[in-house]
Amino acid sequence: MAVGYSSAVVLKHVVKSFGRISAVDDVELEIRPGEIFGLLGPNGSGKSTAMKMLLGLVQPDAGVVEVFGTDVKKDPVAVKRQVGYVPESPRLYEFLTGFEYLDFIGDVFGMTTEEKKERISEYLKALDLEGREGDMISGYSQGMKQKVALVSALLHKPKLLILDEPLNGLDPKSARIVKDLLHELKAQGVTTLMSTHVLEIAEAICDRIAIMYQGRILALGSMDELRQKASLPGSGLEDIFLKLTGAGDIKEVVEELLK
Amino acid sequence: MNWKIVAHLIRVDRKSGRLIRGGRLSRAFERKLITYVLYGGALVLGIAVGCLAGYFYNSISIVDPQTKTLFDLGLVNLSLSLPTLVLIYSLIFTMMQQIQRSGARFTIQAPYWLPITWNEHTLASLLANLIGFPLISITFIAPALITVSFFAGQVGFAVLTSFAVLASAFMASAITEIFRTVQARFIGAVTKSSGRAAVWVRFAGSLLFFVAFYIVYFTLTSGTGAIVFVQTIASAQSSVWFVPFFWLGMFLYSFIGGMLWQTLAFLGLSLLFVLSLFYAAVSLNKRFGLYEPPSITVSRGVYTPRAGLLGRLGFSTTEAALIRKDAKAFTRRRELMFVFVLPVVLIMFPLLQTMGAMGQVPQSIATPLYVLPLTFLMPSAILAVYLGSVMIGEEGEAMWRIYSAPISAKNVVKSKYSFIIFLSTLVITVTGIVGVVAFHPSPRATTVAFTESFLLMFALSAISLSFGIKGSDFRELPRPRMIRPEWSLINLIACFVAALAILAPFIPYAFTVIALVPTIDPYYAAVVSAVISIAITFIAYRIALRNARELLAKAET
Repeated sequence: MAVGYSSAVVLKHVVKSFGRISAVDDVELEIRPGEIFGLLGPNGSGKSTAMKMLLGLVQPDAGVVEVFGTDVKKDPVAVKRQVGYVPESPRLYEFLTGFEYLDFIGDVFGMTTEEKKERISEYLKALDLEGREGDMISGYSQGMKQKVALVSALLHKPKLLILDEPLNGLDPKSARIVKDLLHELKAQGVTTLMSTHVLEIAEAICDRIAIMYQGRILALGSMDELRQKASLPGSGLEDIFLKLTGAGDIKEVVEELLK
Repeated sequence: MNWKIVAHLIRVDRKSGRLIRGGRLSRAFERKLITYVLYGGALVLGIAVGCLAGYFYNSISIVDPQTKTLFDLGLVNLSLSLPTLVLIYSLIFTMMQQIQRSGARFTIQAPYWLPITWNEHTLASLLANLIGFPLISITFIAPALITVSFFAGQVGFAVLTSFAVLASAFMASAITEIFRTVQARFIGAVTKSSGRAAVWVRFAGSLLFFVAFYIVYFTLTSGTGAIVFVQTIASAQSSVWFVPFFWLGMFLYSFIGGMLWQTLAFLGLSLLFVLSLFYAAVSLNKRFGLYEPPSITVSRGVYTPRAGLLGRLGFSTTEAALIRKDAKAFTRRRELMFVFVLPVVLIMFPLLQTMGAMGQVPQSIATPLYVLPLTFLMPSAILAVYLGSVMIGEEGEAMWRIYSAPISAKNVVKSKYSFIIFLSTLVITVTGIVGVVAFHPSPRATTVAFTESFLLMFALSAISLSFGIKGSDFRELPRPRMIRPEWSLINLIACFVAALAILAPFIPYAFTVIALVPTIDPYYAAVVSAVISIAITFIAYRIALRNARELLAKAET
């Protein structure tokens, strides 16, 4: 466990607008250390913006964002040192090889040569990237690039993982490895905040889930708590999600399209 | 051939220019400016120039029949050489367009999943390539020629010349398309066969291509080379009649000579050649249009991270990592390799001028006044200005890595500035040595020139880096933009003013040299210049730091 902090992440009355579009609207959120937290919501609901705020990549118009007690606005570099981040569509330095890219990341996070060597080899082996690590990233498939982005987020043993659609494009084996890895990291006290549209994954691995819609948090809690809030006892996350986000009448939409 | 599809594809290609210009133009303005105003302007200008030349022709016809004959001859010679000239410059411009887009293969990739034939795709690509300078120039040349021919009584010949010019431009575009497709396949094959050396083979190959391209470009366009070239084309065309690229010129030559059968034969052959080029481009596109180059393997075997020299020089691991990463970017990314070509091109210019057309070694001991700035000051100064302005923007969409990593503004500015200084120092050393060997300046002139090169480099790098951060543009399609145009312009002006300020102490010295009065010691001027340079560098570096802090704090907002 990350000792000494009652909260890994705190968002207090956070507001962010892009012009007339309200991306994040008075969001309050607290993520506990060692928790796997799922942030769900339809496209454009404000998930990615909220995640970027945690790294200081987007400045809130109002409210406070804290990571392990540090105000992100005041000391973003200190926060970034503790975080591993995978954006929704990670653009990597395509002119570097996989090795060189991860070496670069290791240096940026101040890892020693031995640490880099050991961990890069481990991760490359685990994610089936061995044999291609010396190729320039421009020649990698989308899934391979995603794997490199994931390794770069995990390499420096961060205390908080912010993963925006982390399993995008991964093959089943690698996706399973990442899921198991997140569980193992949880046991070591690493906090994970992830967004995904694959609700089965969220249901399977997240301790708590928040459902965002139009910049607001509609519901937050464990699966049982969400079922209660949606008044759908015994149902799965998909039904809860669709009911809460007002996208329930799918059948009608499909019938309309088939006319 | 579905002409509507071709028209749609051309329209899409034209709209890709939005990404280059930025999305600030309104749609109506964009349509008017790009579609009508430039071409309309060229047309009006062409007619106006034609009228002016015609008026001149009429006035000399009365007073000076000899000049009139010369004018007639000149007009014919120009018309005869125009197809070849248009072919050459269209080739240069269409190739430049391809070079510009080389980093954006996705925007120009054939939409192969749509019901579009390769014929339609290729034709649209050829025509779209001509949009811009080649087509605007033809819109100017053809009406100018036809208008002046009304006065000179050669309308039929002028119309045929206009047709030949248009066919030449199309020919050039087809050659570029063929070259592009073949070179993609060729480079792929070279990459594959060269294995681990692929990066260096590609680097050297790209540099050689650029240097060769610019040598040809300079030879054709600068000094007496251009005039000699036009004269050669006009006079020697008939002796190389068997070369297909001259058939359009031969067609006009035969027409003006009244050789009907020969005219028809060359016209037919020309059309056949243009068609065969088009179909060659189509068939190459069919075979290699969707060719994916093999990935480049840089290293194999056990991973061995290096401790590095940069650490020993006082850089933190983060800064050293950024510098190493940038060094790899500039030797591996084609659009950045230009940096290495720039000094070569800049030094080539005075060398070619001084050595003469055939590369004779300069015999003169007295160094021309303009040579020292051109060889010593210009390459490194221009490099510093260019590098500084793109050093941040070159991160492109991978900038999120910098944003999300624990990299401070100080780290960013220090590493980027140091990289510019390292590279520019290398350039000063090389171009300086070339300058000394080629022009034998005095020891005093050499010392001052080297000193001023460094002073300019330090100040201009800091200025351009601060503007490069402020105006950084991370968009990558259709090509990496790196800096917003308005900031690029502001940067150029600021650097120009700063360079003038740094070199200002030499103005009295230059006057004494020109006036041949006892000279002021240039070392005094160098000392004053150093003080100015240090002050500018200090202020600009602090501004760069402030801009970097702003950039990292604002990030994506």
